[in-house]
Amino acid sequence: MRRESHGPELLAEFGTVDAMLHAIDALGDSYGEIETYTPYDVPDVDGRLGLRPSRIGWIAAFGGLCGMVTAYGIQWWADVHAYPLNVGGRPLHAAPAFLLVTFEGTVLGAALATFIGLLLLLGFPKLWAPVDEVEGFDRAAIDRFWIAIPALANENDRERADALLHEAGALRTVVVGGA
Amino acid sequence: MSAIFNRRAATVARATLVALCALVILIPTVAMLWVRTPWARGEHRRIVQPVPFDHRIHVTGLRIDCRYCHSGVERSASAGLPSTQKCVSCHTQLWRAGSPMEPIRQSVATGRPIPWRRVTQLPDFVYFNHSIHVNKGVGCESCHGRIDQAAEVEQAAPLTMSWCVDCHRNPAPTLRPLEAVTTQGYVPPGGDRDIELAAVLMKRYQIHSLANCTTCHR
Amino acid sequence: MAAPPDALQPYPVVGALPDDGSLTRDLLGPNWSASRAWWPLFIVSGAFAVLFIVAIAFTVVKGIGVWGNNIPVAWAYGITDFVWWIGIGHAGTFISAFLLLLNQRWRASINRLAEAMTIFALVNASLFPLLHLGRPWFFYWLVPYPATTGVWPNFKSSLPWDVAAIATYFTVSLLFWYLGLIPDLAAARDAAPGLRRRRVYGVFALGWRGRAREWQHYRVAYMLFAGLATPLVISVHSIVSLDFSITQLPGWHSTIFPPYFVVGAIYSGLAMLLMLVLPVRRIFHLEEVITRRHLDNIAKLILLCGCLLAYSYVCEMFGAWYSGNVYERFAMLISRPFGPYGVLFWIMTAANVLTPHLFWSARMRTNTIVLFVAGVIIWVGMWLERFVIIAGSLSQTFLPSSWHLFIPTWVDWSLLVGSVGLFVFLFLAFLRWVPFVSVAEVKRLRLDVQRGVAERSAT
Repeated sequence: MRRESHGPELLAEFGTVDAMLHAIDALGDSYGEIETYTPYDVPDVDGRLGLRPSRIGWIAAFGGLCGMVTAYGIQWWADVHAYPLNVGGRPLHAAPAFLLVTFEGTVLGAALATFIGLLLLLGFPKLWAPVDEVEGFDRAAIDRFWIAIPALANENDRERADALLHEAGALRTVVVGGA
Repeated sequence: MSAIFNRRAATVARATLVALCALVILIPTVAMLWVRTPWARGEHRRIVQPVPFDHRIHVTGLRIDCRYCHSGVERSASAGLPSTQKCVSCHTQLWRAGSPMEPIRQSVATGRPIPWRRVTQLPDFVYFNHSIHVNKGVGCESCHGRIDQAAEVEQAAPLTMSWCVDCHRNPAPTLRPLEAVTTQGYVPPGGDRDIELAAVLMKRYQIHSLANCTTCHR
Repeated sequence: MAAPPDALQPYPVVGALPDDGSLTRDLLGPNWSASRAWWPLFIVSGAFAVLFIVAIAFTVVKGIGVWGNNIPVAWAYGITDFVWWIGIGHAGTFISAFLLLLNQRWRASINRLAEAMTIFALVNASLFPLLHLGRPWFFYWLVPYPATTGVWPNFKSSLPWDVAAIATYFTVSLLFWYLGLIPDLAAARDAAPGLRRRRVYGVFALGWRGRAREWQHYRVAYMLFAGLATPLVISVHSIVSLDFSITQLPGWHSTIFPPYFVVGAIYSGLAMLLMLVLPVRRIFHLEEVITRRHLDNIAKLILLCGCLLAYSYVCEMFGAWYSGNVYERFAMLISRPFGPYGVLFWIMTAANVLTPHLFWSARMRTNTIVLFVAGVIIWVGMWLERFVIIAGSLSQTFLPSSWHLFIPTWVDWSLLVGSVGLFVFLFLAFLRWVPFVSVAEVKRLRLDVQRGVAERSAT
């Protein structure tokens, strides 16, 4: 998992996507892990931040498998064992007929797992985070692009990062959070 | 922005969500467990009869056979309740006085039957027939419990459909010889698991496993 | 626009949009205050929704004998309405899932409207089979649960398939819709006037902040949902069609039913989508967001579905003739076109087979009035199709002595009209309080268009 904001962070606000991407490139690897806050899914951010691929596909696959086994299992147990019903002499274990509900169960299991998995991976609902206290941060969901890096303890390093962000086109920078 | 929520609101939101999910799972689970308890099925519910009739005295004490009073049981769908005349045939001789007997005297005087309250009730869409069960070796006790020990009769069996169907699918263990149908506290000669006797009875009474819907629902 | 004009694709996928801030204000603005026309419409549709509730209450209290259904026409308006509504829902999933998987970027500005249509159509659709149970309060008997009766559903019957399909479809559609909404709810949270509104949207936004990690998981999850919903939507209407085609009834017993029903479903949904998108586009001045490209594309899809549906009609008839079976031939070739419901058959054929051919003309494809009228005609035509198949086939079966016509009662009519009322009511509430165009997706689409990425993949 990536770092959740623990220590103090240095936030920078950008007016355009390009300025933000430029800043990420300028920062490079030397300032710790970078986080971005953007109003829409900006392409190329994942690669620049070095995010590992999302594991949500595996969660969905697992949920789908559970749904599939459960759906088929319930039908098989109900119609073959718990309440066998002779329908015109047809076999009690009628796999072709059971496949339809099995399919629905697979989809339902996968969908629920995807949704719940997403909430868990993102720690939602998370109604409050330290960044919320920054004046004007709410524009991150509208038309501003923010970068967050761990605020360095060393005064010189911090000033250097700050200068770098301003140079890249940051409208302003602000330090938030921390004990 | 000044944040619209604080740390506490975030915790409350999370707890609420978890609680809602728990409720969604908990409510059906509790409901399904509840319907499986004797209380939900109406067992052990005290039913006060107009006359404090005590089966212990009549069955255990006086050794009167069930069929003396419930005379329809071998011939008709319902076992039947004794008419007031049947009570009175003995009770003109003994235990005539006293307030407990008042409804009987009233019934004799007015000709109206005693308003006994039903204890073992099946839904109207179930066509239950006493005679077929009794004549094929299903004892009274199997459904009505130890009547000989009951001061007041209460529902003794779950009366759920699966309870009926369990026996209909596999009747053998419940069977007893016809002469022991009304016996209370019956134990098969070979002990509780008398498989040989069960097989003999299945054959003797030509019993089939009748688990079709139309056996009971017509 | 970076891309050069394309003769085959003359309309841009997004028009001249203002900057992100103004765009957000424009798209979310309708959520902050009601327009003048909104209240009267809301009240009128609410009145029809009340009529729906009255008809439902009457049905529940008196029993479904208050409908015109009787043997042999045991299924009529109730099941017709059910199939019609669930079919309408399919176009919403088609737009949001199929087109996402196919990288059809133009879906971005109309997918929310289409998904809302799906949800509200499904609310209506799921009510009709429940009412048809006669004792709707025992609906849970259809669900496999450990009952004290020891009875379990028979999964060789198509009705438990229906339950599984509809329940899954409703759940997946709702989650898909909500998932898509989360970034926009966050935008609404941060753009809304007043603390109370911001808090309400804030709760539903779950704390979305647009972190890179959030977007990454979200993108994958959203795509997964599209991948799940696509086969699901095909399975749902196939299963609905199996309710009919696994019976022996001439007019129902046909192997072409599953694809035929799926195509018809998407067709009717696209028609209703036009009826919703065109007024929304006009009233909220969304011409730059829902451009002529969208109308053009929907019209083309309608043309395609119309042709496939006409093919299915012909196939159905041909199959009946080719079978040589006298009952099949009678049902499809005599009773259906020339029987008591023959007039409805011809209206349906004209509406569903002829109307879409207007859209061979490029001018017709972007003429909003033509589109709207065609939408209404197909919308009604598709209802008639289900009625002709369901009640028409049942009214004249094997034995002429048992033939009987279905005449709808006022309850049948109230349920039909009332369900439309409930739909409009819910849809108006949606327009009023929920971001009805995907703000985040439109912004991203605009970025891609500016970079010249979208035009190549947006056709």
